[in-house]
Amino acid sequence: MSDTTQFRVMDFDCPTCASTVERALSNVNGVQHVEVHYATGRVEIEYDDSVADPDVFAQTIENQGYTPQPA
Amino acid sequence: MNERSITQYYRKHRKAIVTATSGLLYGGGWSLGHLTSFDMASAVILVFATVVGGYDIAQTAYHEVSNRTLGIKTLVTLAAIGAIIIGEYWEAAAVVFLFSLGSYLEGRTMRKTRTALQELLEMTPDTATVRRDGELQEVPAREVEEGEVVVVKPGGKIPVDGTVIDGESAVNQAPVTGESAPVHKADGDGVYAGTVNQEGALEIRTTGAGSDTTLERIIRRVEEAQEAQSPTESLIDRFAKYYTPAVIALAIGAYAVTQNAILSLTLLVIGCPGALVIGPPVSIVSAIGNAARSGVLMKGGEHLERAGKIDLVAFDKTGTLTKGETTVADVEGFGIADDEVLSLAATTEKKSEHHLADAIVDAARERPTAATDGGATVANAVEADRNPRSIPDPDDFDVVAGKGVVARYDGHEIVVGNRALLDDRGIDIPSRVADYVREREERGETVVHVIRDGDVIGTIAMRDELREAAPDVVAALRDAGIKTMMLTGDNERTAAAVAEEVGIDEYRAELLPEDKQSVIEACQADGHVVAMVGDGINDAPSLATADVGIAMGAAGTDTAIETADMALMADDLERIPYAVTLSKATRWNVLENVGLAVLTVTVLLAGVLTSYITLASGMLVHEASVLAVILNGMRLLRY
Repeated sequence: MSDTTQFRVMDFDCPTCASTVERALSNVNGVQHVEVHYATGRVEIEYDDSVADPDVFAQTIENQGYTPQPA
Repeated sequence: MNERSITQYYRKHRKAIVTATSGLLYGGGWSLGHLTSFDMASAVILVFATVVGGYDIAQTAYHEVSNRTLGIKTLVTLAAIGAIIIGEYWEAAAVVFLFSLGSYLEGRTMRKTRTALQELLEMTPDTATVRRDGELQEVPAREVEEGEVVVVKPGGKIPVDGTVIDGESAVNQAPVTGESAPVHKADGDGVYAGTVNQEGALEIRTTGAGSDTTLERIIRRVEEAQEAQSPTESLIDRFAKYYTPAVIALAIGAYAVTQNAILSLTLLVIGCPGALVIGPPVSIVSAIGNAARSGVLMKGGEHLERAGKIDLVAFDKTGTLTKGETTVADVEGFGIADDEVLSLAATTEKKSEHHLADAIVDAARERPTAATDGGATVANAVEADRNPRSIPDPDDFDVVAGKGVVARYDGHEIVVGNRALLDDRGIDIPSRVADYVREREERGETVVHVIRDGDVIGTIAMRDELREAAPDVVAALRDAGIKTMMLTGDNERTAAAVAEEVGIDEYRAELLPEDKQSVIEACQADGHVVAMVGDGINDAPSLATADVGIAMGAAGTDTAIETADMALMADDLERIPYAVTLSKATRWNVLENVGLAVLTVTVLLAGVLTSYITLASGMLVHEASVLAVILNGMRLLRY
């Protein structure tokens, strides 16, 4: 089953930061679609909940050097 | 301060601490090198300054490269490493410190833009006082069920959408509708979550709580709008993907040709399209956030950019320029009693959903001496209020769109309609009727004829009062260089009278709903960028055809929030000049930002090629340009 979750990242410095997080999240197992927006800091992830572990998403964002907050 | 709070403080202010440390080390290293002869010590400190300031940057650059994205952090890291390798320690430390300082300031300013929306969210209180089993209980606002009664004390924020069932008060609705003046609320009036109860206690029956409130819907829409990229943003995003690798290629090429490492590294730093990529989204997000707080919902950058080009605003008349509360001004019988005319017209119109029909039926119900279907005659209006007349059903009923209604009742054919309908049916209008109608229409009233079995037996004149703000709004648009037009189904004389009163530039009268759409298409064919202002439901085709559809009074209807390109939460015409001029200001702001970014890169490039720009001064100008576009975009937050 497909599900979606959102985060807000307030410490993006530039649009490339957003692209970097987008790429990293799209490589997470079970993620179907990711949209990360620099200007609003909004991260929207669509994933297959039988495969993906949503806890991994926040960790992935942190691993890229940014602080995810629940949206 | 214990160890834990020190750690928390460091985490919170890490960026500022790192930047300041890097700056101090850079200043110390530079002083040692320039004021003393401790060159080795200076070099060590400058490298240390580069490492301290550059660690986070390099780490992000590593992530960028491993995720196959190339951004300014990769370029800065390459430049700093390159500068150290060729022994330009001062340049390496300067580039890292200036970048770090720039992005710290940039981050602070961007956070302000990003939090503009959060402020809206914080308008809703977390808890609600609910009457359950006869007792008042404090519960989380999200847990209030539809139908439950919430009590809000004076000065309290309203936690749910609902209807007032007891009490009277003035409510500040600014968070939802943008109206600055409080609105009086009493029994039966709707209230929105997030608004502030100013005077008396209110009991409210909940119609929506939690995520099902108007404010939450608006916030969701604004968020989506902020995500929807404008054409300029999409173009720049596509451009940026190819631009950064091109800058790296250019720097390598420059080194291959000139063998000048400094020139090559400087190209890397100044070539980054930072201001170009950051400028447009900041302008658009700021404008959408500002509009939302003023009760105007913009449906995304695309519409905002298009709205910036509007040069003609077309208004629907009824409910837009007028209050939309049509009342019967006069009933005139020709050969029969006035009341009988009204009564027959009401029966004919009873099943119609047209606003003129509602006015006729309401007048017949409330008229103290109106003829009825055999009920007792009431003596006065007070009694009529208490016991409104019932109107009989017609035997059959047919609507002629835009013209009127034909019905059969009590063996007669009754027609209630405008002149066009009479012309269609070949009905002659006696001259005394025509004279009377002309006189009423010249006052701006709408007149319908009542016909029984082919004979005109009366007329009903109706009035819909103009909104007080209408003339000022039209004048404000004219001052902004925008042409105005009124579209109405009314006849020529009524339309002319209203247009003159409002001061509108042009009007088109006697239009059927589909004609309004054709008028807009014709204006577009003449080269105009047209905004159509309507109530969002009846005017759906023309709102959709216009370049920008502006729906009014959207707080009350989800349809309007969903369908229009721009929605005014309140029935407040005065928001229209604001919305249009904000869009124009946004368009200029985006152009200014793009212009500034392109100019900066061009000047820096020329400076590098003529050796006027060093690595550090290039970074300083680059970061200054990024800050300048952010600050310029943020001006729109306070427009």
